[in-house]
Amino acid sequence: MKNVKLWLAALVAVFALIVAACASNEGDTTGTTGGTAASGPTGTTSGAPAIPEFSTITDGVLTVGSCLDYPPFESVKNGVETGFDVDMTNEIASRLGLTVEWVRADFDTIFTAVAGNQFDMVAAASTITAEREDVVDFSDPYYNSLQSLTVNTALTPDITSTDQLGQGDVVGAQKGTTGKDWAVENLEPQGVQVKTFTSSTDSFRDLEAGNIVGVINDKPASVGIIADLPDLAIVQDIDTDEHYGFAFSPSNPELRDAVNVVLAEMIADGTYQEIFNKYFPPDSIPDEFKPTT
Amino acid sequence: MAVTEAPPLEPEVAPDVRGPTAPLPLATFALGIASLVVIAIGVLWSQINYAFSDRVMTQYCLDQQISPEDNGGIGVCNIIEALQDPVTTDALYLGISLGAAALILGASTYRRMDSKRKRDHAITGAVLGSQGILLGVGILWFRSVSPGLFAKHFLNFADLQGYGGAFLRGIRNTLVLAFAGELGGIVIGLVLGVLTLSERRVVRAPARLYINFFRGTPLIWQLVTGYFLLLFGFGLRMSAFTVAIIVFALNTGAYAAEVFRAGIQSIERGQFEAARSLGMSYVQSMRYAIVPQAVRRVIPPLMNEFVILIKDTALVVALGLVESQYDIFTTAREGQAATFNATFFTVAAIAYLVVTLPLIRLVNAVEKRLRSGLVGIAGAGS
Repeated sequence: MKNVKLWLAALVAVFALIVAACASNEGDTTGTTGGTAASGPTGTTSGAPAIPEFSTITDGVLTVGSCLDYPPFESVKNGVETGFDVDMTNEIASRLGLTVEWVRADFDTIFTAVAGNQFDMVAAASTITAEREDVVDFSDPYYNSLQSLTVNTALTPDITSTDQLGQGDVVGAQKGTTGKDWAVENLEPQGVQVKTFTSSTDSFRDLEAGNIVGVINDKPASVGIIADLPDLAIVQDIDTDEHYGFAFSPSNPELRDAVNVVLAEMIADGTYQEIFNKYFPPDSIPDEFKPTT
Repeated sequence: MAVTEAPPLEPEVAPDVRGPTAPLPLATFALGIASLVVIAIGVLWSQINYAFSDRVMTQYCLDQQISPEDNGGIGVCNIIEALQDPVTTDALYLGISLGAAALILGASTYRRMDSKRKRDHAITGAVLGSQGILLGVGILWFRSVSPGLFAKHFLNFADLQGYGGAFLRGIRNTLVLAFAGELGGIVIGLVLGVLTLSERRVVRAPARLYINFFRGTPLIWQLVTGYFLLLFGFGLRMSAFTVAIIVFALNTGAYAAEVFRAGIQSIERGQFEAARSLGMSYVQSMRYAIVPQAVRRVIPPLMNEFVILIKDTALVVALGLVESQYDIFTTAREGQAATFNATFFTVAAIAYLVVTLPLIRLVNAVEKRLRSGLVGIAGAGS
């Protein structure tokens, strides 16, 4: 009897200590973003705006969330992250004096995640939309994009446009993307069913197998994904005038402003063009992203 | 010759011999209950008050990252303002004090009680009191950190208007997946279970292989790989929903096989010998003597398996589904992706609980009935 009582009392005491410790930890972390300052370097070139002081979740590290399966923007080859977004992020981080740590996340929850400070920034070929602006802060646009229809030319060589799709057809799209929204808005009224996937590569695989008749996805990524799949081809461009931006938590506007300053610098001095030419045809660079020198 | 039927046997209930109680332990018991009740009433009172009031966005809410443009922002603001209400605060502190009193009183006096009932009251009061303390401290801690952010993301029900039908359809799909998978699994499991009991290794080994494989690999792997295997390996073009049912059946079959095997083995050997001595073959003995008795014993574990399967159906989110096929979790995930509001997940949990809790109660009731063991044997006169 005595042992049991002592044991129970000890258990309660340990539990209370743990609770107290956790409570004090909670108090600390809520102050990190905005409290402890890991200041970036102030403006270097005269006349250029100074980079505002900002802070990150971990000092000296830019934690970036991404789906990492969206070539040519972000993918992992031989254990190394590569892609347009990757190169842009690395350049931005080095100009801010930070190292990059990549966090893999599902795209359809990635905006809530960054708003909840699970990472500092999202670099995942994310289109800037009004609904997303309610939840996150976007950087200035860094890429102009559009949607596209990909089909399996070996199985359905006659389909060249979404107008030909109707009752009984199933198209695939990735959960949480503007492509899926476009498909739901424009194709469901035609009687087409939209099948949603957590990852875009799954949708292309389904297309390859012939389970669905087409995939609505961002065009440049579609080009990258079907490069190794000879049966699939992009048959229609869907001009949606989309712009990609990096997403930040609304509780960290300083980081977003700092990235905007660096991004403008990169565009002006030609670094953007260098990175662009690595992944896309050099003559397709839009005027607003050409260097000003 | 007429044989009178044996009277139905009643379940045994022990007579209550715990003895009288006394004011002190009774007071402890009452204090414990009071601490929990006070906290519950205090919190609910404020919440209801604020929910039906005309309050608007306050500075506190703005500081907590809730903006007037947020859909449902006022509702969320009411929730967290109510948490800070003086009524709630008083109730929390009162509840904690009552709980502490009950704990101290009960823990220090229960050993000196001379009757069992008094001891029960003292101990129960102490335990309830400690629960009241934990609840009070927990709520105090929660509301002091950043309740606004949590409430905005998980308690913001405004965006869920219009999704009622979607969630009902999700519940229907979840149940369809679970039922079909369980039915298939029972059939497969019965066959496999009997096979694993064969004397011949050639018969046992493949069954064992199947069971080990499906129990040893993650269900989500089985779903995703199964889909592509059937698609590319066998050229079968089926909807992911159908594939999910097949995989659930195959997976449940492995677990059900083990349950059937254990159930059959628990039937004493004498039954089998008696059946054989009556001239029945092995298969006939199984079919007419053993398995019918084993069925009663395997029902509770199989029903348990069913409840687990209902939750496992959430894994179909990893497959590509059309909207009419969404289960509860996929509906929640899609809703969250469209509105960036994680309250969908709160509702998904409620939906799953609505489905599983009654089933769990049913399982417990069935188990109790079957455990009395004499059902079906008493009254078998002729």
